[in-house]
Parts: sequence; structure tokens; C-alpha cells
Amino acid sequence: MSNGMPPSRDDAPPGHPRGRTWNRAGDDPDPSVPALEVDDLTVAYREQPVLWDVDLRIRQGSATAIVGPNGAGKTTLIRSILGLVPRAAGRVRILGSPLEDVRRQVAYVPQRGSVDWDFPTSVEDVVLMGTYGHLGWFRRPGKREREAARRALERVEMAAFAHRQISELSGGQQQRVFLARALVQEARVHFLDEPFQGVDARTERSIMDVLHELRDRGDTVIAVHHSLQTVPEYFDGVVLLNVRLIAAGPVDAVFTDENLRTAYGGRIPYRSPTSPTSPPPPGASPAAGPPPPLEG
Amino acid sequence: MPLHVEIQLLAVVVAAACALPGVFLVLRRVALISDAISHSVLLGIVLAFFWVRDLTHPALILGATATGILTVALVEALHRSGRVKEDAAIALVFPALFSLAVLLIARYAGQIHLDVHSVLLGEIALSPFRRWEVGGVDLGPRSLWMMGGILILNAGALLLLWKELKVSTFDPALAASLGFSPVVLHYAFMTLVSVTAVGAFDAVGSILVVALMIAPPATAWLLTDRLSVMVGLSVALAVAAAVTGFWAAWLLDVSIAGSMAAMTGVGFVLAFILAPDRGVLASLRRRARQRVEFSGMLLAVHLLHHEGTADESVETRVDHLQKHLRWSPDFARRVIDRAERVGWVRREGRERLRLTPLGRETAKVGMIR
Repeated sequence: MSNGMPPSRDDAPPGHPRGRTWNRAGDDPDPSVPALEVDDLTVAYREQPVLWDVDLRIRQGSATAIVGPNGAGKTTLIRSILGLVPRAAGRVRILGSPLEDVRRQVAYVPQRGSVDWDFPTSVEDVVLMGTYGHLGWFRRPGKREREAARRALERVEMAAFAHRQISELSGGQQQRVFLARALVQEARVHFLDEPFQGVDARTERSIMDVLHELRDRGDTVIAVHHSLQTVPEYFDGVVLLNVRLIAAGPVDAVFTDENLRTAYGGRIPYRSPTSPTSPPPPGASPAAGPPPPLEG
Repeated sequence: MPLHVEIQLLAVVVAAACALPGVFLVLRRVALISDAISHSVLLGIVLAFFWVRDLTHPALILGATATGILTVALVEALHRSGRVKEDAAIALVFPALFSLAVLLIARYAGQIHLDVHSVLLGEIALSPFRRWEVGGVDLGPRSLWMMGGILILNAGALLLLWKELKVSTFDPALAASLGFSPVVLHYAFMTLVSVTAVGAFDAVGSILVVALMIAPPATAWLLTDRLSVMVGLSVALAVAAAVTGFWAAWLLDVSIAGSMAAMTGVGFVLAFILAPDRGVLASLRRRARQRVEFSGMLLAVHLLHHEGTADESVETRVDHLQKHLRWSPDFARRVIDRAERVGWVRREGRERLRLTPLGRETAKVGMIR
């Protein structure tokens, strides 16, 4: 279990026990190497800073929420780390290397609304796109890739939908297809942009179960997250962002009223973790204990 | 080969060559860029002609392709500046390049065969007269060879880059994160579009190029939700429009290119109305069915509401429903027939309706929802 394995701004000590469920191509990276190192990251749009001098360390085997008000640069942070928007300054290392060297170790789940769901293709085909990175240029997916896609769809309980046209899916089903697509990438660091947007409570729970499974086998999950209420329950670590980095670290140390007030400019759309009705007390890991009952 | 066979063969090859990249133009929602490219290539042709002074020189194709790509780059640069939307950027760039070409022709090339009319509409009937001869042996129309080559190029590129084009069209961010640069793919693809536009433009004129690139894929998208089927259907539809267009032009004694373009439009209108899932008729039928289904639910809820009440004997009368729910007699009969058929209500005597246990359950569930 990865209890108390939060991201930290210092280099984390090694020794995370891995619960590998299957072997993947490539060598295991040294677990003491941070999953993500960001130094002095600045992103500007027409000379306006969208992200300003962000430093970040996130250790392997953790689940981290990126939290902040609208326009805080949460999506931009992920997209600039992945080289999808140009950086004005700064250095990014994933598993100790530049992105180009570890592309296959990195999976990205963009916002559901970022693609055209009327595109003429099937669920299976979308999931297969996750295998394209391993295939490289020109090679087509074959039997092995189809098998991997089937397994991934089973894991997100979407196997019955494999041959459906994607426009027939509900929001939650679309999100699970995207998650399956990330799973077939067999990555070690998973970036997700609002994976729970427009998703019902049951789907949210099952997506989180898959993400916790990934974390528990030593993968790193980094998600832009909107609902502050569920941060302590779902995540080990939190990155509080509002153009600048407000705070980053373990949920119980960083997810405080004071930090939230700084990030949200005085108005916290959420009761702090220390208030009586809050979910688990500080220190509790979402992976510990039975999952809470489903709503609805 | 008889002349009409050569013309049709050329039309078929042009149609197939245009429809292939057209599929991805439509899916990428940049259909109008085909219009822009097919016009602005004229500037490249003119400039290359000034350079080599020969209308049959291959440099003309190179020049035209280069201006096609220049068009795409200019549109993108304008759009990226944030001051102009993409549709406006397209409408700004290609008339500028096209008009510049027209001015250059009028001023410096008035005496040669580069007239604006044939640029727009082409003259496919004349294409077979430009032959390709090697050592005195007639190898057939030059355009046929060129378009055949472009067709093979397009088919080969699509086969080779199938998954790359698919992923970068569907989800450019994913493509980039997987290491398939959407920019590289975009320009590679736009080069194909330019080459195709240039070749087809020479044979059939710029209007037919746009019609053949856009209408068949847009039609195919109404008929299928599989990408590979969409590509096959697009080619088939374009070829069908080319052949029927040729014969329509022959029968009506009108422009062949215009008639073929019109046929692509006829195909689209037919699919728009008749497509099994997405056609107008299908959705009207679907809506009518949903209305009857929903009204059946209303009926069940109405009957449940008055079950066991004092006015039950009145409220369950068939003729009362027409007043209460304001249904026409004909519509009321259809709703009641369907409700009986699915076992929600049964008739008691001729005039009265009663809920079945299934109907009662349905009404209760329906009210919760």
C-alpha cells in the first residue's frame, strides 16, 4: 500500500513497495527518482503569464490532484508539461528524463469535450489509439493490441460497448473509454484533465478505483480536479495553483484553510478538512479501509 | 479509346483522387480550405509559367503545390494572430492570391492560353486532346496519367498514414503526446490536398475540385459511422457523380464539369433526406414514434390518476380523452392502439379503457422519472 506516499517538494526517499500486476516493457525506473520535476516553469500567452515560475516535485506511486480556481492554469500546467503548449521558461523532467525520452511512459487523458464525438469510429478503435505510441509510425495495430484494448475495456466495464459508435455514449461512458485508452498505453505516469467532469457518482467511483489500482502498483496519477470535497478521499497529494504555485505536498499538510484561501482569493468553495463533516481525517489514505457506499 | 470513354475514365480517376483527401478535410472541419487551395494554385501556375515559359512544364505543378501550401500557412498565421477567425482568414487569403494571379495573366500573359473561365470550370472535354506521346507513340491523355499518379499517391499516403491521420484528426493533443506531430501531419496532408487540387484543377477546374472533395465525404458521413466505410463510400459516390454527371451533360448538352458538380449535390440532398439514420425523413419518423410512445405514457398516467376515483367512469372514456388530453380522434386512436398492443391498457366494452398491471407499473415508473 502506498499510505502516506504524497508528492513532496523535496526529493523523496526511496523504498516504495511495488504491487505489480503485470510486467511491462522497459526497465523499472529507480523509485527514488521523482515522477515529475518541474523547475521555474513559466507559460505566457501573448506576454501574459498563465503560469508563473512553478516548481514542483511529485514522487512515484502517488495520486495528486491539481486544484485551483478557474483560469488558474491547471490545464495549461499539464499541457505545458506534455509539450502541448510552448513554455516561456523552465525545465520539466519526467521519471528523471526529458519528455522525448520517456514518451511511452506517459499517458494523457484530455478533457472529454476536447474531441468531436461524432467522429466516425468505434469504442474499440478509440482505445486502440492508445497503442499507437508503442507501434510508432506506419505500423498498424494487430491481434496483440486488440487483446490489450479488450482487457482495458473490461477493466473500465465497457467491454460490451466495444463496437458501439462513440457518439452513442453517455458522458461517463466517454470518460471511461478515454481511461481505457490511457490504460493500453501501459504508461507509468498518467495525466488526466478533469476525469470526473459530467460523470455520475457510480462512474466517478469506478474511475477512481482504477486510478488507485494504478497508484498501488507504483504508477503516478496526476489529475486536474474540480471538486474540493473529494480531494482528501481520492488523493494523497495536492497541488494548489493560481497562476503561481500556492502550495504542493501531502493533502494533510497542504490542504489547509489558509492555503485554500490564498489560492481562491479568500472565498473557499469548500469546508476545510478539519471541519467536522469532512471526509477522512488527515493521514488516512483513500486506499485504506473499505470504499464508502455509492451515492444514488 | 473512344473520346467519351477517355473523358469518363479521366472523370472517374479525378473523382476518386479528390474524394480520398476530401474525407479528412471534412472530418477536420476545414472543408473550405479546398476552395482556397484550388483557387490560389493559379498564382503558382502563373509564376512558374513566367519562369519556364512553357504551359506543359512540370515546374508548373511544383509552383502550384507550393502556393497551395503557402495558402494553408498564411491562413494559419492569420488565424493564429488571434485577430481574425479561421473562416475569415480563408476568405482573406485566397481571393488575394487568386486576384493577383488574374491581374498577372491579364497584364503579361493575355496572348497565351491561360484564361480565367477555364480555370474556374475547367474543360474536361478538351483534356483528352492534350496527349502524352513518347517517341511518336500515343500513350493517352496527359491529364489521365497525371491524375492516375495522384490517385495512387493519395491512396498510398492514406494507407501508410491511416492511423496517424486518424488520431491526429480525432484527438490532436493525444497524437502530439504520443509523438505524432499534428503539425507535420497537417502539412503533409495539406501537401496532398494541394497536389490533388493542382492536378484536378488542370483537368476539371476549381469548382469541380471543391465539389468532388467535399460533397461525397459529407454525403458518406450521413450514411456510415465507420471511417473505412466512409472512405470507400466517398470514392464510390464521387465516381457515381462523375459518370452520371457525364451522361446528364451529354443528354442536356451542358458543361460536363458543371453537371458532375451538380450530381455530387444531388447525391448529398438524397442522403440528407433519405439516409437511414441521420436523414430528415428518418428523424421525422423517429419523432412521430416518440410522440406516440410518450402519449401512451401520458395515457397510462392519466388512467392511473383516476383509478378508483368517483369520476373514473368519465375519465376513462375514449371520447373523453380527446377533450382532456386534446388529442385529435385519429391521434388518440393511434396512441390507444399502441398502448393496447404493448399491453398497458385494455378496452372494456367499446368506450372504456382500463390499465393492465403492466400499464400500472409503467405509469408509476414513468412518474418517478
